[in-house]
Amino acid sequence: MRPIARSRPIVQFSRVSRAYGSRLALDDVDFVLDPGELTFLVGPSGAGKTTLLKLINREIRPTNGQVWVAGMPAHELPASRVAQLRRRVGVVFQDYKLLPRLTALENVAFGLQVSDLKVSDEEAKDRSRDALEAVGIGDRTSAFPHQLSGGQQQRVAVARAVVAEPPVLIADEPTGNLDPKTAWELMDLFEDIAAWGTAVLVATHNVEIVTRLQRRVVTLVHGRLVRDQPAGQTGRMAWLATS
Amino acid sequence: MAGDVVKVRFRRRRLVQVVAANLFRYLVQGATRSWARNLGGTAPALGSMTLLLLMTGLVGIAGFALYNLEQVEAGQASLLHIYLRDDADATDVFNLQRQLLADPRVASVDYTSKNEALKRAQRIPGLPQLADSTDSNPFPASLDVQVKSIDDVAAIDESVRNNTAVDPVYPSSYDRGAYQRIQNVLFGLGIAGIAFLGMLGFIAVAVTANSVKAAIHARRDEIGIMQLVGAPRWMVRGPFVIEGAITGALAGLVAGLITFGLTLAAISGASGAFTRFAPGVTLPVAAYASALVLLVGLALGSGSSLISLRRHMES
Repeated sequence: MRPIARSRPIVQFSRVSRAYGSRLALDDVDFVLDPGELTFLVGPSGAGKTTLLKLINREIRPTNGQVWVAGMPAHELPASRVAQLRRRVGVVFQDYKLLPRLTALENVAFGLQVSDLKVSDEEAKDRSRDALEAVGIGDRTSAFPHQLSGGQQQRVAVARAVVAEPPVLIADEPTGNLDPKTAWELMDLFEDIAAWGTAVLVATHNVEIVTRLQRRVVTLVHGRLVRDQPAGQTGRMAWLATS
Repeated sequence: MAGDVVKVRFRRRRLVQVVAANLFRYLVQGATRSWARNLGGTAPALGSMTLLLLMTGLVGIAGFALYNLEQVEAGQASLLHIYLRDDADATDVFNLQRQLLADPRVASVDYTSKNEALKRAQRIPGLPQLADSTDSNPFPASLDVQVKSIDDVAAIDESVRNNTAVDPVYPSSYDRGAYQRIQNVLFGLGIAGIAFLGMLGFIAVAVTANSVKAAIHARRDEIGIMQLVGAPRWMVRGPFVIEGAITGALAGLVAGLITFGLTLAAISGASGAFTRFAPGVTLPVAAYASALVLLVGLALGSGSSLISLRRHMES
């Protein structure tokens, strides 16, 4: 198991703003994410959750402020080094984004090998199989995405995101297409991944999960970080009434 | 001697093998498979490019023939015949020949007697009747001056025109402006050829770039996933460049073969006449031209892919 270094945040936002034209999607946000921490990012639609995740993965740059991810300055990272940063960030989407022509095992191995050509076929298959077993679908490695349920596809996506052991995992509405039971299973998986030392940030609208898990909750409203509740002090999700 | 079998692991070699295998699989194999899968979408670009490259090849060969024709004309125009008076003194002719040989602009000077001039004229179509129509020899003796540069012919002509050994009525073969006219025509043809090739190149790039744009659109999910999992830029773009190169190379190969075949047919069909109208266009030249068409196709295909990638793919 990797040691959990709690001395340095793995993600740090310092006075970050991001504008799309004249519209401010994120406004002066300060925020840190520590290794091994499972954090929920909540807020009404259009609050800036996806923008914040995109800034971590350097899909976009901030208009102002600094974004540090795993020791790299995402705010000023040249395009030539973006791939390097993305290898340190695992990403899970609501719509899974699996390649339909590849099996579950190949999807995971593909993610591993295209980001690191030094990984041999055997190693890629071994690690991918381990990752798929860890997420609970070790028996469906040769199935194609269309042969898997939504929950199983999302598990493959999670396996792909963590197979390279990134220090950060971000998930954008990962339970959006899943039934409640599968959503809970996915959350258990995220808790396990966080317990292994990975910082996990989950953007979600699922109130039940957020309130019952009692993990850290960061609330965004109109681009501003209005509340940062530590684990165990989640309380009521008042913003949901307006979302 | 008994003992354990020790397997030595060549780590670096193994690493190189793994990287090479992955590169081959994801770049070359992936591109080839994707190209074959998207052949329906690529077919119009392939057809247009083949046609354009074929025209490029044929225009190129025609341009080469014109260039050679111009060189032949230039060679002929730089040969200045200085016609001598029938009653010219041998010493004067000798002195004129020495004067010309001493000129650094002159490559060689040959003397042609009246008899040799007559014999030469009798070999030219139409002239034997003229030569035979009179008892006397109407053709003057001459000094045939090979001038090094075509630009100096006028000056050489000017320097000997008033020499006592030179025929005052018809002093030389120099025709002011004749060569210039040929040059102007060939220059115009050259400019037109370059403009035509440039236009063909532009169309070829646009057609291929559009086909790559369609390929990027068809594979946007895969590209997005590759980018998100941290594939380096060259890894994401590489297969598209290879796909473009495959399209270009195939178009170039077909166009090159047709160019070679047509040239071969023209050479063997027209026999001697072809050499006169298209000097220098031989089988090796046709082979070079075909190879060049293939290379141009390769460069156009991969180059236009790169252009399209820069425009249609986020960095």
